[in-house]
Amino acid sequence: MTKKFSLTPYLFLTPALVAIAIFVVYPIFAVFYYSFTDYSIVTPPVWIGLKNYSWLIHDTIFWRSLAHSFVYLLVTPILIVLSIILAIVVNRKLPGIQAFRALFFIPVISGSIAVGIAWRLMLDTNGIINAILLSLGILKEPMQWLAEPALTLPFCMALTIWLGVGYYMMIFLAGLQNIPEELYDAAMLDGCNSWQKHWHVSIPGLRPQITFVAVISSLAALQVFNEVFTLTGSLGGILQSGYTVVFYLWQQAFRLSHAGKASAIAMALLVITLAFSITNIRLLERGTETD
Amino acid sequence: MMNQTIVKDDHSRVVLQKTTQNFFLYIILSCVAIVTVFPFLWVFFTSFKGPTDAVYSVPPQLIPHDPTFENYLRVWELLPVGRFFTNSIFVTLSVVVLNTLFTSLAAYPLAKMKFRGSNTIFYLLLVTYIIPPALTAIPSYILAVRVFHYYDHIQAAILPYLATVFNIFLLRQAYKGVPDDLIDAGRVDGASELRIWWDIVVPIIRPSLATVAIITFVEQWNNFFWPSLVLPTMTNKTLQVGLVALQGAFLNDSRGIAAGVVMTVVPMIIFFLLLQKQFIRGLTGAVKG
Repeated sequence: MTKKFSLTPYLFLTPALVAIAIFVVYPIFAVFYYSFTDYSIVTPPVWIGLKNYSWLIHDTIFWRSLAHSFVYLLVTPILIVLSIILAIVVNRKLPGIQAFRALFFIPVISGSIAVGIAWRLMLDTNGIINAILLSLGILKEPMQWLAEPALTLPFCMALTIWLGVGYYMMIFLAGLQNIPEELYDAAMLDGCNSWQKHWHVSIPGLRPQITFVAVISSLAALQVFNEVFTLTGSLGGILQSGYTVVFYLWQQAFRLSHAGKASAIAMALLVITLAFSITNIRLLERGTETD
Repeated sequence: MMNQTIVKDDHSRVVLQKTTQNFFLYIILSCVAIVTVFPFLWVFFTSFKGPTDAVYSVPPQLIPHDPTFENYLRVWELLPVGRFFTNSIFVTLSVVVLNTLFTSLAAYPLAKMKFRGSNTIFYLLLVTYIIPPALTAIPSYILAVRVFHYYDHIQAAILPYLATVFNIFLLRQAYKGVPDDLIDAGRVDGASELRIWWDIVVPIIRPSLATVAIITFVEQWNNFFWPSLVLPTMTNKTLQVGLVALQGAFLNDSRGIAAGVVMTVVPMIIFFLLLQKQFIRGLTGAVKG
Protein backbone atom coordinates (compact mmCIF):
# COMPACT_ATOMS: atom_id res chain seq x y z
CA MET A 1 0.00 0.00 0.00
CA THR A 2 1.35 3.38 -0.93
CA LYS A 3 1.11 6.11 1.66
CA LYS A 4 1.25 8.76 -1.05
CA PHE A 5 -1.90 10.79 -1.55
CA SER A 6 -3.82 9.37 -4.43
CA LEU A 7 -6.97 10.51 -6.12
CA THR A 8 -7.95 6.98 -7.08
CA PRO A 9 -10.22 6.06 -4.14
CA TYR A 10 -12.10 9.33 -4.45
CA LEU A 11 -12.65 8.79 -8.16
CA PHE A 12 -14.13 5.37 -7.44
CA LEU A 13 -16.43 6.90 -4.86
CA THR A 14 -17.51 10.01 -6.76
CA PRO A 15 -20.51 8.80 -8.85
CA ALA A 16 -22.22 7.11 -5.90
CA LEU A 17 -21.42 9.85 -3.42
CA VAL A 18 -22.73 12.56 -5.72
CA ALA A 19 -26.01 10.68 -6.14
CA ILE A 20 -26.33 10.07 -2.40
CA ALA A 21 -25.43 13.67 -1.62
CA ILE A 22 -28.19 14.98 -3.90
CA PHE A 23 -30.93 12.49 -3.11
CA VAL A 24 -30.30 11.59 0.55
CA VAL A 25 -28.02 14.10 2.29
CA TYR A 26 -29.31 17.32 0.76
CA PRO A 27 -32.94 16.32 1.47
CA ILE A 28 -32.25 16.03 5.21
CA PHE A 29 -31.11 19.64 5.39
CA ALA A 30 -33.82 20.81 3.00
CA VAL A 31 -36.57 19.12 5.03
CA PHE A 32 -35.16 20.60 8.21
CA TYR A 33 -35.35 24.06 6.63
CA TYR A 34 -38.81 23.55 5.07
CA SER A 35 -40.16 22.47 8.44
CA PHE A 36 -39.79 26.09 9.60
CA THR A 37 -41.58 27.49 6.57
CA ASP A 38 -44.96 27.82 5.02
CA TYR A 39 -44.35 26.19 1.67
CA SER A 40 -46.89 25.22 -0.97
CA ILE A 41 -44.19 24.19 -3.52
CA VAL A 42 -45.73 26.54 -6.14
CA THR A 43 -44.74 29.72 -4.28
CA PRO A 44 -41.37 30.12 -2.51
CA PRO A 45 -41.11 29.06 1.17
CA VAL A 46 -41.90 31.69 3.81
CA TRP A 47 -40.19 31.49 7.21
CA ILE A 48 -42.75 30.98 9.98
CA GLY A 49 -40.52 29.76 12.82
CA LEU A 50 -41.95 26.97 14.95
CA LYS A 51 -45.53 27.27 13.72
CA ASN A 52 -45.51 23.92 11.90
CA TYR A 53 -44.28 22.16 15.03
CA SER A 54 -46.88 23.77 17.28
CA TRP A 55 -49.51 22.81 14.70
CA LEU A 56 -48.15 19.26 14.76
CA ILE A 57 -48.28 18.98 18.55
CA HIS A 58 -51.91 20.07 18.60
CA ASP A 59 -52.96 18.06 15.58
CA THR A 60 -55.09 15.09 16.65
CA ILE A 61 -54.72 13.40 13.26
CA PHE A 62 -50.95 13.40 13.63
CA TRP A 63 -51.18 11.75 17.06
CA ARG A 64 -53.65 9.22 15.74
CA SER A 65 -51.30 8.42 12.84
CA LEU A 66 -48.39 8.10 15.24
CA ALA A 67 -50.36 5.76 17.49
CA HIS A 68 -51.26 3.65 14.44
CA SER A 69 -47.61 3.47 13.41
CA PHE A 70 -46.70 2.18 16.86
CA VAL A 71 -49.54 -0.35 16.79
CA TYR A 72 -48.19 -1.40 13.40
CA LEU A 73 -44.95 -2.48 15.06
CA LEU A 74 -46.87 -5.51 16.32
CA VAL A 75 -46.22 -7.07 12.91
CA THR A 76 -42.58 -7.56 13.94
CA PRO A 77 -43.07 -10.13 16.74
CA ILE A 78 -45.82 -11.84 14.74
CA LEU A 79 -43.57 -12.06 11.69
CA ILE A 80 -40.69 -13.42 13.74
CA VAL A 81 -42.76 -16.14 15.39
CA LEU A 82 -44.60 -17.18 12.22
CA SER A 83 -41.53 -17.24 10.03
CA ILE A 84 -39.44 -19.20 12.57
CA ILE A 85 -42.20 -21.81 12.85
CA LEU A 86 -42.47 -21.98 9.09
CA ALA A 87 -38.69 -22.24 8.72
CA ILE A 88 -38.61 -25.14 11.17
CA VAL A 89 -41.42 -26.85 9.26
CA VAL A 90 -39.70 -26.53 5.87
CA ASN A 91 -36.24 -27.34 7.23
CA ARG A 92 -36.32 -31.05 6.47
CA LYS A 93 -35.92 -33.41 3.59
CA LEU A 94 -39.42 -34.24 2.42
CA PRO A 95 -40.51 -34.90 -1.14
CA GLY A 96 -41.73 -31.64 -2.66
CA ILE A 97 -40.34 -29.43 0.09
CA GLN A 98 -38.46 -27.25 -2.42
CA ALA A 99 -41.73 -26.52 -4.21
CA PHE A 100 -43.37 -25.46 -0.95
CA ARG A 101 -40.47 -23.16 -0.09
CA ALA A 102 -40.62 -21.52 -3.52
CA LEU A 103 -44.39 -21.17 -3.22
CA PHE A 104 -44.15 -19.43 0.15
CA PHE A 105 -41.66 -17.01 -1.37
CA ILE A 106 -43.92 -15.83 -4.21
CA PRO A 107 -45.68 -13.04 -2.24
CA VAL A 108 -42.26 -11.51 -1.49
CA ILE A 109 -41.57 -10.78 -5.15
CA SER A 110 -45.13 -9.96 -6.21
CA GLY A 111 -45.16 -6.39 -4.97
CA SER A 112 -47.45 -4.83 -2.38
CA ILE A 113 -49.43 -2.71 -4.85
CA ALA A 114 -50.69 -5.54 -7.05
CA VAL A 115 -51.32 -7.81 -4.08
CA GLY A 116 -52.99 -5.01 -2.10
CA ILE A 117 -55.36 -4.35 -5.00
CA ALA A 118 -56.13 -8.08 -5.21
CA TRP A 119 -56.89 -8.15 -1.47
CA ARG A 120 -59.15 -5.15 -1.82
CA LEU A 121 -61.15 -6.94 -4.51
CA MET A 122 -61.38 -10.05 -2.32
CA LEU A 123 -62.48 -8.10 0.76
CA ASP A 124 -65.06 -6.09 -1.14
CA THR A 125 -68.67 -6.39 0.01
CA ASN A 126 -69.21 -8.34 -3.21
CA GLY A 127 -65.92 -10.18 -2.81
CA ILE A 128 -64.88 -13.79 -2.50
CA ILE A 129 -64.28 -13.61 1.26
CA ASN A 130 -67.90 -12.72 1.94
CA ALA A 131 -69.03 -15.35 -0.56
CA ILE A 132 -67.02 -18.06 1.21
CA LEU A 133 -68.08 -17.04 4.72
CA LEU A 134 -71.74 -16.78 3.68
CA SER A 135 -71.80 -20.17 2.04
CA LEU A 136 -70.11 -21.75 5.07
CA GLY A 137 -72.78 -20.15 7.24
CA ILE A 138 -70.21 -18.22 9.29
CA LEU A 139 -71.81 -14.93 8.24
CA LYS A 140 -75.52 -14.27 7.94
CA GLU A 141 -75.12 -11.22 5.71
CA PRO A 142 -72.16 -9.75 3.79
CA MET A 143 -69.68 -7.66 5.82
CA GLN A 144 -68.23 -4.38 4.62
CA TRP A 145 -64.77 -5.44 5.73
CA LEU A 146 -62.90 -2.38 4.55
CA ALA A 147 -65.51 0.10 5.75
CA GLU A 148 -65.09 -1.06 9.33
CA PRO A 149 -62.71 1.41 11.06
CA ALA A 150 -61.63 -1.12 13.68
CA LEU A 151 -60.53 -3.54 10.96
CA THR A 152 -58.61 -1.18 8.64
CA LEU A 153 -55.31 -1.39 10.46
CA PRO A 154 -55.51 -5.14 11.23
CA PHE A 155 -56.12 -5.86 7.53
CA CYS A 156 -53.16 -3.69 6.51
CA MET A 157 -51.00 -5.50 9.06
CA ALA A 158 -52.23 -8.87 7.85
CA LEU A 159 -51.22 -7.85 4.33
CA THR A 160 -47.76 -6.81 5.52
CA ILE A 161 -47.35 -10.15 7.27
CA TRP A 162 -48.64 -12.10 4.29
CA LEU A 163 -46.19 -10.28 2.00
CA GLY A 164 -43.19 -10.69 4.29
CA VAL A 165 -43.42 -14.05 5.97
CA GLY A 166 -41.84 -15.97 3.08
CA TYR A 167 -38.84 -13.67 3.02
CA TYR A 168 -38.15 -13.94 6.74
CA MET A 169 -38.77 -17.68 6.58
CA MET A 170 -35.93 -18.01 4.08
CA ILE A 171 -33.63 -15.97 6.33
CA PHE A 172 -34.40 -18.20 9.31
CA LEU A 173 -34.09 -21.30 7.15
CA ALA A 174 -30.56 -20.27 6.16
CA GLY A 175 -29.83 -19.71 9.85
CA LEU A 176 -31.20 -23.10 10.87
CA GLN A 177 -29.06 -24.84 8.28
CA ASN A 178 -25.97 -23.30 9.87
CA ILE A 179 -26.72 -24.81 13.28
CA PRO A 180 -24.53 -27.91 13.77
CA GLU A 181 -26.47 -31.18 13.90
CA GLU A 182 -24.49 -32.26 17.01
CA LEU A 183 -26.22 -29.61 19.10
CA TYR A 184 -29.58 -31.23 18.38
CA ASP A 185 -28.17 -34.69 19.11
CA ALA A 186 -26.83 -33.45 22.42
CA ALA A 187 -30.22 -31.94 23.28
CA MET A 188 -31.94 -35.25 22.48
CA LEU A 189 -29.48 -37.10 24.74
CA ASP A 190 -30.35 -34.62 27.48
CA GLY A 191 -33.92 -35.77 27.14
CA CYS A 192 -35.38 -32.92 25.14
CA ASN A 193 -38.45 -33.69 23.03
CA SER A 194 -38.65 -32.17 19.57
CA TRP A 195 -40.35 -28.97 20.79
CA GLN A 196 -37.87 -28.46 23.62
CA LYS A 197 -35.01 -29.10 21.26
CA HIS A 198 -36.10 -26.20 19.05
CA TRP A 199 -36.59 -24.00 22.10
CA HIS A 200 -33.14 -24.78 23.51
CA VAL A 201 -31.12 -25.09 20.30
CA SER A 202 -32.85 -23.46 17.32
CA ILE A 203 -33.96 -20.21 18.95
CA PRO A 204 -30.57 -19.38 20.55
CA GLY A 205 -28.88 -20.43 17.31
CA LEU A 206 -31.04 -18.03 15.32
CA ARG A 207 -30.14 -15.00 17.41
CA PRO A 208 -28.30 -13.10 14.64
CA GLN A 209 -31.19 -13.65 12.25
CA ILE A 210 -33.74 -12.62 14.88
CA THR A 211 -31.81 -9.38 15.42
CA PHE A 212 -31.69 -8.72 11.70
CA VAL A 213 -35.37 -9.47 11.14
CA ALA A 214 -36.42 -7.41 14.17
CA VAL A 215 -34.51 -4.36 12.94
CA ILE A 216 -35.48 -4.66 9.27
CA SER A 217 -39.15 -5.48 9.78
CA SER A 218 -39.74 -2.83 12.45
CA LEU A 219 -38.08 -0.13 10.35
CA ALA A 220 -40.28 -1.22 7.46
CA ALA A 221 -43.34 -1.14 9.74
CA LEU A 222 -42.60 2.47 10.68
CA GLN A 223 -42.48 3.34 6.95
CA VAL A 224 -45.63 1.51 5.89
CA PHE A 225 -47.56 3.16 3.09
CA ASN A 226 -48.46 0.88 0.17
CA GLU A 227 -50.68 -1.43 2.22
CA VAL A 228 -52.70 1.48 3.59
CA PHE A 229 -52.82 3.16 0.20
CA THR A 230 -54.19 0.13 -1.66
CA LEU A 231 -56.53 -1.32 0.97
CA THR A 232 -58.17 2.04 1.70
CA GLY A 233 -58.26 3.09 -1.94
CA SER A 234 -55.81 5.98 -1.25
CA LEU A 235 -58.20 7.55 1.30
CA GLY A 236 -56.65 6.26 4.52
CA GLY A 237 -59.77 4.56 5.83
CA ILE A 238 -62.93 5.88 7.44
CA LEU A 239 -62.17 8.32 10.31
CA GLN A 240 -58.45 8.12 9.45
CA SER A 241 -58.55 4.56 10.77
CA GLY A 242 -55.66 3.56 8.49
CA TYR A 243 -53.54 6.69 8.80
CA THR A 244 -49.88 6.02 9.58
CA VAL A 245 -47.16 8.65 9.91
CA VAL A 246 -45.96 8.14 6.35
CA PHE A 247 -49.50 8.13 4.99
CA TYR A 248 -50.21 11.43 6.74
CA LEU A 249 -46.91 12.86 5.49
CA TRP A 250 -47.83 11.83 1.96
CA GLN A 251 -51.26 13.37 2.25
CA GLN A 252 -49.94 16.69 3.60
CA ALA A 253 -47.10 16.93 1.08
CA PHE A 254 -48.53 15.52 -2.11
CA ARG A 255 -52.31 15.76 -1.78
CA LEU A 256 -52.56 19.11 0.02
CA SER A 257 -49.22 20.65 -1.10
CA HIS A 258 -48.34 21.54 2.50
CA ALA A 259 -44.62 20.91 2.12
CA GLY A 260 -43.84 22.82 5.33
CA LYS A 261 -46.22 20.81 7.50
CA ALA A 262 -45.18 17.59 5.79
CA SER A 263 -41.54 18.43 6.53
CA ALA A 264 -42.35 18.81 10.22
CA ILE A 265 -43.97 15.36 10.10
CA ALA A 266 -40.87 14.06 8.30
CA MET A 267 -38.63 15.45 11.06
CA ALA A 268 -40.78 13.72 13.67
CA LEU A 269 -40.53 10.50 11.69
CA LEU A 270 -36.75 10.89 11.48
CA VAL A 271 -36.44 11.35 15.24
CA ILE A 272 -38.68 8.34 15.91
CA THR A 273 -36.77 6.18 13.44
CA LEU A 274 -33.43 7.19 14.94
CA ALA A 275 -34.54 6.65 18.52
CA PHE A 276 -36.11 3.40 17.56
CA SER A 277 -33.06 2.03 15.70
CA ILE A 278 -30.77 2.95 18.58
CA THR A 279 -32.89 1.35 21.31
CA ASN A 280 -33.58 -1.61 19.06
CA ILE A 281 -29.89 -2.30 18.55
CA ARG A 282 -29.07 -1.62 22.23
CA LEU A 283 -31.76 -4.00 23.44
CA LEU A 284 -30.74 -6.73 21.09
CA GLU A 285 -27.05 -6.28 21.91
CA ARG A 286 -27.85 -6.62 25.59
CA GLY A 287 -29.80 -9.75 24.74
CA THR A 288 -26.73 -11.33 23.18
CA GLU A 289 -24.40 -10.25 25.99
CA THR A 290 -26.37 -11.95 28.77
CA ASP A 291 -26.09 -15.16 26.83
CA MET B 1 -34.85 -62.22 22.81
CA MET B 2 -36.83 -59.70 24.78
CA ASN B 3 -34.34 -57.08 23.95
CA GLN B 4 -34.83 -57.78 20.29
CA THR B 5 -38.60 -57.36 20.36
CA ILE B 6 -38.20 -54.09 22.18
CA VAL B 7 -35.82 -52.85 19.54
CA LYS B 8 -38.13 -54.04 16.77
CA ASP B 9 -41.14 -52.52 18.48
CA ASP B 10 -39.29 -49.33 18.95
CA HIS B 11 -38.32 -49.30 15.32
CA SER B 12 -41.85 -49.75 13.98
CA ARG B 13 -43.08 -47.19 16.46
CA VAL B 14 -40.51 -44.71 15.18
CA VAL B 15 -41.53 -45.40 11.59
CA LEU B 16 -45.19 -44.97 12.45
CA GLN B 17 -44.39 -41.80 14.33
CA LYS B 18 -42.47 -40.51 11.33
CA THR B 19 -45.34 -41.19 8.92
CA THR B 20 -47.95 -39.52 11.13
CA GLN B 21 -45.57 -36.65 11.73
CA ASN B 22 -45.01 -36.23 7.99
CA PHE B 23 -48.74 -36.43 7.41
CA PHE B 24 -49.32 -33.54 9.79
CA LEU B 25 -46.44 -31.63 8.26
CA TYR B 26 -47.99 -31.91 4.82
CA ILE B 27 -51.31 -30.71 6.22
CA ILE B 28 -49.62 -27.63 7.72
CA LEU B 29 -47.68 -27.02 4.52
CA SER B 30 -50.81 -27.34 2.40
CA CYS B 31 -52.78 -24.93 4.61
CA VAL B 32 -50.03 -22.31 4.34
CA ALA B 33 -49.80 -22.96 0.60
CA ILE B 34 -53.54 -22.38 0.19
CA VAL B 35 -53.35 -19.08 2.09
CA THR B 36 -50.37 -18.07 -0.05
CA VAL B 37 -51.72 -19.11 -3.43
CA PHE B 38 -55.41 -18.39 -3.08
CA PRO B 39 -55.33 -14.64 -3.84
CA PHE B 40 -53.27 -15.30 -6.98
CA LEU B 41 -55.54 -18.11 -8.15
CA TRP B 42 -58.65 -16.08 -7.50
CA VAL B 43 -57.35 -13.04 -9.35
CA PHE B 44 -56.15 -15.23 -12.20
CA PHE B 45 -59.51 -16.97 -12.65
CA THR B 46 -61.46 -13.74 -12.19
CA SER B 47 -59.47 -12.07 -14.94
CA PHE B 48 -60.77 -14.69 -17.41
CA LYS B 49 -64.41 -14.46 -16.37
CA GLY B 50 -66.90 -13.27 -18.95
CA PRO B 51 -70.15 -11.41 -18.21
CA THR B 52 -72.00 -14.73 -17.68
CA ASP B 53 -69.56 -15.86 -14.98
CA ALA B 54 -70.33 -14.38 -11.59
CA VAL B 55 -67.53 -12.66 -9.69
CA TYR B 56 -69.72 -12.72 -6.61
CA SER B 57 -72.13 -15.51 -5.84
CA VAL B 58 -73.11 -17.69 -2.90
CA PRO B 59 -71.81 -20.38 -3.05
CA PRO B 60 -68.74 -18.83 -4.72
CA GLN B 61 -67.69 -19.75 -8.23
CA LEU B 62 -63.94 -19.85 -8.71
CA ILE B 63 -63.33 -21.21 -12.20
CA PRO B 64 -64.91 -19.47 -15.19
CA HIS B 65 -67.24 -21.69 -17.27
CA ASP B 66 -66.72 -19.55 -20.30
CA PRO B 67 -63.15 -18.18 -20.16
CA THR B 68 -62.41 -15.11 -22.25
CA PHE B 69 -59.62 -12.64 -23.04
CA GLU B 70 -62.22 -9.88 -23.21
CA ASN B 71 -61.06 -8.28 -19.92
CA TYR B 72 -57.46 -8.05 -21.05
CA LEU B 73 -58.49 -6.50 -24.37
CA ARG B 74 -60.66 -3.96 -22.58
CA VAL B 75 -57.78 -2.95 -20.31
CA TRP B 76 -55.37 -2.65 -23.25
CA GLU B 77 -57.92 -0.56 -25.14
CA LEU B 78 -58.57 1.90 -22.35
CA LEU B 79 -55.07 2.29 -20.96
CA PRO B 80 -51.61 2.42 -22.54
CA VAL B 81 -50.56 -0.88 -20.96
CA GLY B 82 -47.79 -1.37 -23.52
CA ARG B 83 -46.29 1.92 -22.41
CA PHE B 84 -46.56 0.89 -18.76
CA PHE B 85 -44.55 -2.21 -19.61
CA THR B 86 -41.84 -0.47 -21.63
CA ASN B 87 -41.56 2.26 -18.98
CA SER B 88 -41.22 -0.29 -16.19
CA ILE B 89 -38.65 -2.30 -18.12
CA PHE B 90 -36.68 0.81 -19.00
CA VAL B 91 -36.68 2.19 -15.45
CA THR B 92 -35.88 -1.16 -13.84
CA LEU B 93 -33.05 -2.07 -16.19
CA SER B 94 -31.50 1.40 -16.07
CA VAL B 95 -31.50 1.41 -12.29
CA VAL B 96 -30.16 -2.15 -12.05
CA VAL B 97 -27.26 -1.44 -14.42
CA LEU B 98 -26.33 2.01 -13.13
CA ASN B 99 -26.84 1.26 -9.46
CA THR B 100 -24.80 -1.95 -9.62
CA LEU B 101 -22.02 -0.10 -11.45
CA PHE B 102 -21.93 2.91 -9.14
CA THR B 103 -22.20 0.97 -5.89
CA SER B 104 -19.61 -1.61 -6.94
CA LEU B 105 -17.22 1.23 -7.79
CA ALA B 106 -17.86 3.00 -4.49
CA ALA B 107 -17.62 -0.06 -2.29
CA TYR B 108 -14.19 -1.04 -3.60
CA PRO B 109 -12.03 1.68 -2.03
CA LEU B 110 -14.09 1.45 1.17
CA ALA B 111 -13.04 -2.18 1.49
CA LYS B 112 -9.59 -2.28 -0.05
CA MET B 113 -7.86 1.12 0.06
CA LYS B 114 -6.46 3.28 2.84
CA PHE B 115 -7.24 6.94 2.30
CA ARG B 116 -7.99 10.09 4.20
CA GLY B 117 -11.64 10.33 5.19
CA SER B 118 -12.51 6.71 4.55
CA ASN B 119 -13.88 6.25 8.06
CA THR B 120 -15.82 9.50 7.91
CA ILE B 121 -17.39 8.52 4.59
CA PHE B 122 -18.22 5.07 5.93
CA TYR B 123 -19.99 6.38 9.03
CA LEU B 124 -21.81 9.09 7.12
CA LEU B 125 -23.13 6.43 4.78
CA LEU B 126 -24.15 4.32 7.76
CA VAL B 127 -26.15 7.23 9.17
CA THR B 128 -27.91 7.93 5.86
CA TYR B 129 -29.05 4.32 5.77
CA ILE B 130 -31.83 4.99 8.27
CA ILE B 131 -33.17 8.14 6.58
CA PRO B 132 -36.83 7.40 5.79
CA PRO B 133 -37.49 7.39 2.02
CA ALA B 134 -40.69 9.38 2.66
CA LEU B 135 -38.54 12.18 4.08
CA THR B 136 -36.22 12.37 1.09
CA ALA B 137 -39.22 12.29 -1.24
CA ILE B 138 -40.28 15.83 -0.31
CA PRO B 139 -37.08 17.66 -1.38
CA SER B 140 -36.54 15.21 -4.25
CA TYR B 141 -39.97 16.12 -5.54
CA ILE B 142 -39.17 19.81 -5.29
CA LEU B 143 -35.85 19.21 -7.07
CA ALA B 144 -37.71 17.34 -9.81
CA VAL B 145 -40.17 20.18 -10.33
CA ARG B 146 -38.00 23.25 -9.80
CA VAL B 147 -34.35 22.37 -10.36
CA PHE B 148 -33.91 19.39 -12.67
CA HIS B 149 -37.21 19.92 -14.51
CA TYR B 150 -37.60 16.22 -15.09
CA TYR B 151 -40.98 16.06 -13.38
CA ASP B 152 -43.17 13.83 -15.55
CA HIS B 153 -40.14 12.54 -17.45
CA ILE B 154 -39.04 8.95 -17.07
CA GLN B 155 -35.57 9.97 -15.77
CA ALA B 156 -37.29 11.22 -12.64
CA ALA B 157 -37.99 7.62 -11.67
CA ILE B 158 -34.37 6.57 -12.28
CA LEU B 159 -31.99 9.24 -10.98
CA PRO B 160 -32.78 9.06 -7.23
CA TYR B 161 -31.81 5.36 -7.26
CA LEU B 162 -28.39 5.63 -8.92
CA ALA B 163 -26.70 4.63 -5.67
CA THR B 164 -28.08 3.00 -2.53
CA VAL B 165 -26.24 2.69 0.75
CA PHE B 166 -27.45 -0.84 1.37
CA ASN B 167 -25.85 -2.09 -1.85
CA ILE B 168 -22.58 -0.31 -1.06
CA PHE B 169 -22.38 -2.09 2.31
CA LEU B 170 -23.24 -5.43 0.79
CA LEU B 171 -20.52 -5.12 -1.84
CA ARG B 172 -17.99 -3.71 0.61
CA GLN B 173 -18.43 -6.91 2.59
CA ALA B 174 -17.90 -8.97 -0.58
CA TYR B 175 -14.69 -7.11 -1.51
CA LYS B 176 -13.32 -7.79 1.97
CA GLY B 177 -13.22 -11.48 1.07
CA VAL B 178 -10.93 -10.84 -1.90
CA PRO B 179 -7.27 -11.64 -1.01
CA ASP B 180 -4.99 -8.57 -0.96
CA ASP B 181 -2.25 -10.58 -2.66
CA LEU B 182 -4.21 -10.70 -5.90
CA ILE B 183 -4.61 -6.94 -5.93
CA ASP B 184 -0.96 -6.36 -5.03
CA ALA B 185 0.12 -8.72 -7.78
CA GLY B 186 -1.83 -6.60 -10.23
CA ARG B 187 -0.12 -3.48 -8.92
CA VAL B 188 3.32 -5.06 -9.30
CA ASP B 189 2.43 -5.82 -12.92
CA GLY B 190 1.81 -2.09 -13.33
CA ALA B 191 -1.90 -2.34 -14.10
CA SER B 192 -4.03 0.73 -13.39
CA GLU B 193 -6.38 0.59 -10.40
CA LEU B 194 -9.38 0.60 -12.71
CA ARG B 195 -7.96 -2.36 -14.67
CA ILE B 196 -7.21 -4.27 -11.45
CA TRP B 197 -10.73 -3.65 -10.28
CA TRP B 198 -12.38 -4.69 -13.52
CA ASP B 199 -10.12 -7.60 -14.52
CA ILE B 200 -9.22 -9.13 -11.17
CA VAL B 201 -11.62 -8.08 -8.43
CA VAL B 202 -15.00 -7.83 -10.16
CA PRO B 203 -14.96 -11.43 -11.48
CA ILE B 204 -14.37 -12.68 -7.93
CA ILE B 205 -17.33 -10.87 -6.42
CA ARG B 206 -19.70 -11.78 -9.26
CA PRO B 207 -22.13 -13.69 -6.97
CA SER B 208 -22.53 -10.60 -4.79
CA LEU B 209 -23.06 -8.46 -7.86
CA ALA B 210 -25.85 -10.84 -8.85
CA THR B 211 -27.33 -10.42 -5.36
CA VAL B 212 -27.27 -6.64 -5.70
CA ALA B 213 -28.76 -6.80 -9.18
CA ILE B 214 -31.61 -9.07 -8.08
CA ILE B 215 -32.46 -7.04 -4.98
CA THR B 216 -32.49 -3.86 -7.04
CA PHE B 217 -34.51 -5.51 -9.80
CA VAL B 218 -37.32 -6.68 -7.48
CA GLU B 219 -37.34 -3.38 -5.59
CA GLN B 220 -37.57 -1.29 -8.74
CA TRP B 221 -40.13 -3.41 -10.55
CA ASN B 222 -42.37 -3.13 -7.49
CA ASN B 223 -41.50 0.47 -6.65
CA PHE B 224 -44.56 2.66 -6.30
CA PHE B 225 -44.22 5.58 -3.88
CA TRP B 226 -41.72 7.74 -5.76
CA PRO B 227 -42.79 6.98 -9.36
CA SER B 228 -46.40 7.69 -8.38
CA LEU B 229 -45.35 11.20 -7.34
CA VAL B 230 -43.41 12.19 -10.43
CA LEU B 231 -45.13 10.43 -13.34
CA PRO B 232 -48.61 11.97 -13.63
CA THR B 233 -49.17 11.59 -17.38
CA MET B 234 -50.73 8.27 -18.31
CA THR B 235 -48.18 7.37 -21.00
CA ASN B 236 -45.29 8.01 -18.60
CA LYS B 237 -46.48 5.72 -15.82
CA THR B 238 -44.76 2.53 -14.78
CA LEU B 239 -46.76 -0.68 -14.32
CA GLN B 240 -47.36 -0.27 -10.58
CA VAL B 241 -48.46 3.33 -10.98
CA GLY B 242 -50.53 2.40 -14.01
CA LEU B 243 -52.21 -0.38 -12.06
CA VAL B 244 -53.44 2.10 -9.47
CA ALA B 245 -54.71 4.33 -12.29
CA LEU B 246 -56.47 1.29 -13.74
CA GLN B 247 -58.08 0.57 -10.38
CA GLY B 248 -59.41 4.13 -10.38
CA ALA B 249 -60.69 3.92 -13.97
CA PHE B 250 -62.30 0.48 -13.62
CA LEU B 251 -63.95 1.21 -10.29
CA ASN B 252 -66.62 -1.53 -10.30
CA ASP B 253 -65.08 -3.74 -12.95
CA SER B 254 -63.41 -6.44 -10.85
CA ARG B 255 -62.65 -8.52 -13.95
CA GLY B 256 -60.71 -5.68 -15.56
CA ILE B 257 -58.79 -4.85 -12.38
CA ALA B 258 -57.97 -8.53 -11.95
CA ALA B 259 -56.58 -8.60 -15.49
CA GLY B 260 -54.37 -5.62 -14.61
CA VAL B 261 -53.11 -7.32 -11.46
CA VAL B 262 -52.28 -10.49 -13.40
CA MET B 263 -50.34 -8.55 -16.02
CA THR B 264 -48.32 -6.76 -13.34
CA VAL B 265 -47.49 -9.81 -11.27
CA VAL B 266 -47.03 -12.58 -13.83
CA PRO B 267 -43.76 -11.36 -15.42
CA MET B 268 -42.10 -11.26 -12.00
CA ILE B 269 -43.45 -14.69 -11.00
CA ILE B 270 -42.20 -16.23 -14.26
CA PHE B 271 -38.83 -14.63 -13.71
CA PHE B 272 -38.76 -15.94 -10.18
CA LEU B 273 -39.69 -19.48 -11.16
CA LEU B 274 -36.96 -19.50 -13.83
CA LEU B 275 -34.26 -18.16 -11.52
CA GLN B 276 -35.57 -19.47 -8.19
CA LYS B 277 -32.21 -20.30 -6.64
CA GLN B 278 -30.62 -17.00 -7.63
CA PHE B 279 -33.64 -15.05 -6.40
CA ILE B 280 -33.78 -16.69 -3.00
CA ARG B 281 -30.04 -16.65 -2.50
CA GLY B 282 -29.88 -13.06 -3.72
CA LEU B 283 -32.68 -11.66 -1.62
CA THR B 284 -31.82 -13.49 1.57
CA GLY B 285 -28.05 -13.75 1.05
CA ALA B 286 -27.81 -10.07 1.89
CA VAL B 287 -28.19 -10.96 5.58
CA LYS B 288 -24.74 -12.40 5.87
CA GLY B 289 -23.31 -9.45 3.94
